[in-house]
Amino acid sequence: MRSIGERSTDPGLLVLTSLAEGPKHGYAITQDVERIAAVRLGPGTLYGALSRLESRGLIEALPADDRRRPYRLTPSGELALAEQLESIERVARTGLERLSAAGASA
Amino acid sequence: MRRRLAHLAVALYPLGFRRRYGEEMHAVIDDSVPRARSFIDLLRGAAAAHLRPPAAAAGTLDAPEVIRGSASGILACWVLFAFAGFGFYKTTEDSSFSGAQHAHLVLGAAHLTVQAVAVLASLAVVAGALPLILAALWSAREQPGLRRLVLVPFAAVGVFAAVTALLVALAHSRHRGAGALDRAAFTAWALTGALCAATCVIVARRVLFAVSVQRSTLVGSLALGTLTTAGMIAMSIAALAYTVSLPAAAAGLASQPNGPFRLLDVEGSLVVQSVLMCAASSLALITTRRGWSAVRS
Repeated sequence: MRSIGERSTDPGLLVLTSLAEGPKHGYAITQDVERIAAVRLGPGTLYGALSRLESRGLIEALPADDRRRPYRLTPSGELALAEQLESIERVARTGLERLSAAGASA
Repeated sequence: MRRRLAHLAVALYPLGFRRRYGEEMHAVIDDSVPRARSFIDLLRGAAAAHLRPPAAAAGTLDAPEVIRGSASGILACWVLFAFAGFGFYKTTEDSSFSGAQHAHLVLGAAHLTVQAVAVLASLAVVAGALPLILAALWSAREQPGLRRLVLVPFAAVGVFAAVTALLVALAHSRHRGAGALDRAAFTAWALTGALCAATCVIVARRVLFAVSVQRSTLVGSLALGTLTTAGMIAMSIAALAYTVSLPAAAAGLASQPNGPFRLLDVEGSLVVQSVLMCAASSLALITTRRGWSAVRS
């Protein structure tokens, strides 16, 4: 099972998070991911993630603009992203609460 | 230079993946700051795409193209396997190894299996490739571009044969142990062999996708390719059995230094060769299964 830390830098999750803002093409996704998560997605990692997400029906391609093809979230993609983020948030909130409780009792 | 390398690395992706995402990937590479890490990232991505092709890219290929890809993939695996197999043959060719193989049943049976199956698998490769070569030569009569392409593998084989003849002549003219000149000659020969083999595989694949071949011919070649894959698996198992048995059966032989550079002992060399054989067989099995899935579809 992957750790929360690994999940939060998972290229698929980062791409979904980037597309939650609206349709973007490959380079725009890498720029956005670098800005929001300080993770630089290489072209191989990016298109590996895009192909997996598209195969699972979580994103869909829009008509290409020259050589750049934008992608957007599908309704199932929005649902999957929300579930994953809630799971991460739940663990993060619990962890922070426990840390502050431990700090208070010390 | 880094950007150019990254563009070249895209060519290593499976055809279906390139058709679906290739243009976009080239656009991202052009837009990004070129980094050495991008090349490594693309190599890793290409390997993953070959091992687990995404469904989104599968729809860009029709069944005959998948069968063509499968047949050329088996050839590539066979070439990789042949390099490791040649190493196995050279490592175990001395008379001291023959003696150990006569004295120990597992060593003898494993060695005999590798030799016998190598002959059968080579015949299957030739029989499977021959109809495709003939179809390519037939098509090349009327297409000058294809004619030039078809000549490349023959030229590569000619170059390799000439370099091998030079190496043999050098070996016969010098009777001392492995010196610096011998090691340099062996390195040059091995590099030339790898380059010629890679050229043959890449050009054969391009030609196979460029010529018109009947589906029945493709399926026949895939069937013979399947025999080659089965042969590779059998030889890998036999080579593994030999590698595992040698230290117990003939510890002295296993610990002898091996090869022109004496970097590994015999057992270490056999482990490397067996791992390479198993890797080539596994990849061949994956591509063979993919081909038959396309035949059934």
